[in-house]
Amino acid sequence: MDAYLIAIAIVSGIYLLLALGLNLQFGLTGLINFGHVGFFCVGAYTSAILSTNGVPVAWSLLAAALVGMLAAWPLGVISIRLREDYFAIASLGFSEIVRLVATSEGWLTNGVQGIAGIPRIFSGVTGQSQAIAMLAIVTVFCVLAILAMRRIVRSPFGRMIEAIRDNEEAVKSLGKDPAGFKMQVLLLGSMLAGLSGALYAHYIGYISPDQFIPFITFQIWMAIIMGGVGRISGTVAGVIILMVFLEGSRFLRDIAPFIPEVAMASIRLGAIGLALMLFTIYRPQGLMGDYTKR
Amino acid sequence: MTLEIKEMSKAYGGLTVVDRVSITMEDADIIGVIGPNGAGKSTLFSLVTGFLDGNGGDVVLDGKPLGNASAVERAQAGMVRTFQVPREFAHMTVRENLMAAAPGQGGENLITTFFRPASVARQEKEIAGKVEETIRFLKLGVVADTPAGRLSGGQKKLLELGRALMTGAKLIMLDEPFAGVNPVLIEELSQKIRELNARGIGFLIIEHDLGALSKLVSKLYVMDRGKLIASGEPAAVLSDAAVREAYIGGGAN
Amino acid sequence: MTGFAELLLSGVMSGLIIGLAGLAVTLVFGIARFSNAATGDTMTLGAYGALLGTTLTGSLIFGGLVGLLAGALAAVLSYVLVFRQLANRSPISSLLASIGLAFFVRAGLGLAFGHNQSVFQLDIVRPIRFLDLRIQPNDLKFAAIALVTLVIVFIILHMTPIGRRMRAVADNPLLARVSGIAPRPVMFTLWAMAGAVSAIAGIILGMKTVVSPEMGWDMLLPAFAAAVLGGIGHPVGAIVGGLVIGVAQELATPFVGFTYKIAVSFIVLLLVLLVRPRGMFGRVEGVR
Repeated sequence: MDAYLIAIAIVSGIYLLLALGLNLQFGLTGLINFGHVGFFCVGAYTSAILSTNGVPVAWSLLAAALVGMLAAWPLGVISIRLREDYFAIASLGFSEIVRLVATSEGWLTNGVQGIAGIPRIFSGVTGQSQAIAMLAIVTVFCVLAILAMRRIVRSPFGRMIEAIRDNEEAVKSLGKDPAGFKMQVLLLGSMLAGLSGALYAHYIGYISPDQFIPFITFQIWMAIIMGGVGRISGTVAGVIILMVFLEGSRFLRDIAPFIPEVAMASIRLGAIGLALMLFTIYRPQGLMGDYTKR
Repeated sequence: MTLEIKEMSKAYGGLTVVDRVSITMEDADIIGVIGPNGAGKSTLFSLVTGFLDGNGGDVVLDGKPLGNASAVERAQAGMVRTFQVPREFAHMTVRENLMAAAPGQGGENLITTFFRPASVARQEKEIAGKVEETIRFLKLGVVADTPAGRLSGGQKKLLELGRALMTGAKLIMLDEPFAGVNPVLIEELSQKIRELNARGIGFLIIEHDLGALSKLVSKLYVMDRGKLIASGEPAAVLSDAAVREAYIGGGAN
Repeated sequence: MTGFAELLLSGVMSGLIIGLAGLAVTLVFGIARFSNAATGDTMTLGAYGALLGTTLTGSLIFGGLVGLLAGALAAVLSYVLVFRQLANRSPISSLLASIGLAFFVRAGLGLAFGHNQSVFQLDIVRPIRFLDLRIQPNDLKFAAIALVTLVIVFIILHMTPIGRRMRAVADNPLLARVSGIAPRPVMFTLWAMAGAVSAIAGIILGMKTVVSPEMGWDMLLPAFAAAVLGGIGHPVGAIVGGLVIGVAQELATPFVGFTYKIAVSFIVLLLVLLVRPRGMFGRVEGVR
């Protein structure tokens, strides 16, 4: 297989884990999380710090998922009962604080220089087989996550979060507390984000605070909106579209090498921004249509 | 089942929209609250059910003061309301709406969902049985698998009543159950309410449609501009001069 | 003691900038009913507009006016093209679109002006000494501009017919619709005002520090915090909220370090939302 395609597939898988979590939160429950990248960041740093200090990668991955989840707990306790737009802002602020901590606490995170030399997941193999092994791991996690989402959608829990998305007040009137459900959804989504961050750290090998900007969060938002909010298949489709776009912009630079990388970054930012506006205005149901038909 | 609403009040700035309203229900009755538009009936409902914070007053359910219990806690205590504009779960079918309302579902947390699927499935079966009963009782069979958002106004009112029944409520508070419902269905709905009441469920009903309501309730309270202006047996209340004044003056239809 | 007083002073200055940004947030929230995340990048746009205007005309005053107009125009355009289309949908749609708009504006500015930091060429003036306290004359001018802005906003809101209509919409949008208040002039005025106020905040910030495409986005959290602290929809409250946050940030800096300054506004924001969601001056909000 072409090394390039494998690389894209790995990154897509990492994004898909993020997107599945966000789709659970926003698409299925209606929870507006603007701080998703914060948990991705926490997971990446957890696994990077542990594994560069000699902890086996299998354990550091597990730890990243758990710490990602734990990081969401205080945010949830403090702000899950807030009005939805206030929660959105609080979560955005939370992810900025996480990045601030990663920047400032040099003793732990090596500050702006970031952490280099993060070990690969299978240190025994090299080259192409290393990449294929990585792809296999990412695929396994994605499949597990999709199966988990499917079980949730068909469970009483899934019924309840759908009810919350449809009408929170009515849920309260039946004696069920939406906050408890939202909390679980926040924790699970953040666990997936933490795991995704760890996989990212081990795949790229180097992390620094400027990789965890809010722009990442909104790329994921764009993906789930494009694919069709609330649909698992839509999430997969959305991530593919996002990857095509991100890679396409790289190809554009191959054709037009005179465009500097900073300009390309601006173009990507602008295009995602434009797409966010256009989709919210003209096609809030996404490319694949109504989310009620899963 | 007994209910005591004590001196409920609510003011916005200088405007008092509910002014020390007290209502008593002894032994699972059917009680009506009427009044012209803007009399504060719906606000009173929101205060009693905890959807709105009041400025004084308390609710005592079965001898227990609810104090500042939240809307969720009040519903769990057995006091379940419906809404003037029905709040069905629009994207879910009627059956799913009713399933969702069943209390104490183990499958409503992720741990049991993933690690104890067998017990969840068992409970689902049990709940599905109760849902079938409710669907049959309310004659919602034809629309059982229709998304609730597509129901008619009257069917949505029935569905909300059904959800309240599924929670096992002791007291059901209906906000204008007859509004926009055709006369045949009103008669049927009244009949259902009587049957349920005979099984020991109390009803507190806000209504505009005096004709249907006065035949149903044992006691009628009249609100006007936030205050109770009359209460008692329906026939006596409706012949009261002040009530007639408020109603005709308020331009009720 | 002077150290403390100087920190306080510098806190008041950044507080005025945060307050102006918060004022723009609060105006939009009060009338258009959503949190506008593009406020920060409208600030950046205003700063670049002023920079360009100054270079072209050679005058800071004209430059500033160009920046102000750019901000106002951009905000009105954003209403016409984006937010008006979303007026009847959930405020979340508008919030999400405003984030898209913020990215779009920042990207445009980055492409047009590059990512290097630019500075305004201000005359270097010797600081005034007042009781051992060094005060930059420019700071006095900036403070005066901020106050004049607030006064003008206040005059528009309270002494003009359009302002009275705006406040009517803010108090009760449903009632305002029923009583036939034409939404269009109200919304145009609102967005022009919010855009101009953001631009002024951006210009002052740019003159005090440096101008870069990222400068406005970083002001977003402090601006939201100021608006929430002041009681959302309350113009004076936003300014007072901004001052509180600005001073708190400066006073906290010796203890928490420079980088955690933004965290101060986040913590203020959370505390207010938890303890007193209606803010210092806010009215009780009706049920949703």
